Amino acid sequence: MFRYALTIAQRIIQQIIRDRRTLALILIVPVVVMTIIWLSFPEALGTLDYVAPALLATLALFFGFLLTGISFLRERSQGTLERLMASPVTRADIVLGYLLGFFLFALLQSLIIVLFTVYALNIHYTGAVWQIFIFQTVVLIGAINLGIFISAFAKNEFQMVQFIPLIILPQVFLCGLLWPVAQMSNYLQWISRFLPLTYAVDGLRNIMLYGKTLNEVGGDLAALAGFAIGMSIITGLSLRRGVNG
Amino acid sequence: MTVNDSAVEVTNASFVYGKLKALDNLSLSAPRGISYGLLGPNGAGKTTLIRLLVGLLKPSTGEVRVLGQTPGGKMAAQIGYMPQQPSLYQELSVAQNIDFFAKIYGLKDKPARARRVEDTIKLVDLWERRGDGINKLSGGMKQRVSLACAIVHNPPLLLLDEPTVGLDPELRAGFWQHFRNLNRQGVTILISSHTMDDAAHCDRLAFIRKGQVIASGTPEELKKATGKPDADLEAAFLHFVRREDKKIV
Ligand SMILES: Nc1ncnc2c1ncn2[C@@H]1O[C@H](COP(=O)(O)OP(=O)(O)OP(=O)(O)O)[C@@H](O)[C@H]1O
Ligand SMILES: [Mg+2]
Repeated sequence: MFRYALTIAQRIIQQIIRDRRTLALILIVPVVVMTIIWLSFPEALGTLDYVAPALLATLALFFGFLLTGISFLRERSQGTLERLMASPVTRADIVLGYLLGFFLFALLQSLIIVLFTVYALNIHYTGAVWQIFIFQTVVLIGAINLGIFISAFAKNEFQMVQFIPLIILPQVFLCGLLWPVAQMSNYLQWISRFLPLTYAVDGLRNIMLYGKTLNEVGGDLAALAGFAIGMSIITGLSLRRGVNG
Repeated sequence: MTVNDSAVEVTNASFVYGKLKALDNLSLSAPRGISYGLLGPNGAGKTTLIRLLVGLLKPSTGEVRVLGQTPGGKMAAQIGYMPQQPSLYQELSVAQNIDFFAKIYGLKDKPARARRVEDTIKLVDLWERRGDGINKLSGGMKQRVSLACAIVHNPPLLLLDEPTVGLDPELRAGFWQHFRNLNRQGVTILISSHTMDDAAHCDRLAFIRKGQVIASGTPEELKKATGKPDADLEAAFLHFVRREDKKIV
């Protein structure tokens, strides 16, 4: 099993490294966003403490979804997916390969956000860094699979971008990044319970701000793991779409 | 000749896209070690047939065997498939694309793979451009890289969907020389094409129209069947089309 996943991951890494501008954007955008937020709250530093973990989760979802989605869409439209499906590679290889390839950059991005907020913006977190990364891993697996899955429903990059307001924005509004979930009306709270980003933000805040352990945010982690596993399965099954015509 | 001697064996295969019948009870058989040409107009079903042979599509009815097996799964490693559109990773270089497909098709040993990739790049005459990204190449060059990706692992069966489109005459002749060499080594090549130039190079041909084989045989047999001594393959194709149309009326 999974014999070719590493080969595919390696190819994705080659692709991103050769695409200098995309690579630069992946690394610079989070720094710019964090700085803008930092500049908008110069006095109330407490706000940034509160926003940073939520932003970490949001960027992971956004990045994982959009970059994987678009590059998978291109894999479909440029015909290389057809080539892969005609080769000895299995569907599991493809999904796992994508996961590993994009995971590397997503994790690098998370690392930059954490280091930048801690060392450049002087924000203090109590949680252990490795726990933040384990938690982020689970968030990213869900996001990357979501991107691949949604790419099956888009015929071009324009359509893929249109899915952002549909799939990502509601999660951002309802996850507690902008205002606490507890202050929202009942039915919005109820909806937010079905959105993975809500659990991601809650878990990361608990780890980073309140120094909780992975064990203590087990509920959030379980919800996110459920989403990640469910998405992986659906994604594997959806791969044939667009190849069979 | 037994069934096991054929590289490709299609028996009464049909394929339907929604309501559109792309293949209609089609049968053909290609022996090993030859170049077999699929000739037919746009929309005849050539691509659909090839996608059935690589296992991308399953026949709605009928049976498809390649190298004595059902397409798909592990046996895919024994096929080299070149899709009609040059399907390559735009950001990667010529060499990176070919190396990726070499790995995917199981060339694990690094030095051996490097040698094979180098040979293949030279074969398609792109050694000077090996470091260039695909988006910097001309259309014909992309076509050559795409072919290289299909043949890099030395498979016993090549399924090439219009491999000579966009190639200049010199390269086309070079390619055919290489295909003939491969045939001599026992490799079977199934090629789809519109051009009678390609057809003349093939050992056997199938004229395909509206998802059916309207005639098949060696180029000589097909030309002879028209009854005119100086007929070329183009004339032969039209002859069979007209005969087919008379049957319907
Ligand atoms: N993905 C698809 N969905 C629906 N119909 C399709 C699809 N692909 C092909 N067809 C239809 O099936 C028929 C056969 O198409 P196919 O691509 O096999 O022809 P072809 O012989 O390869 O033609 P060409 O020489 O233009 O490449 C055509 O009528 C085409 O419109
Ligand atoms: Mg075609």
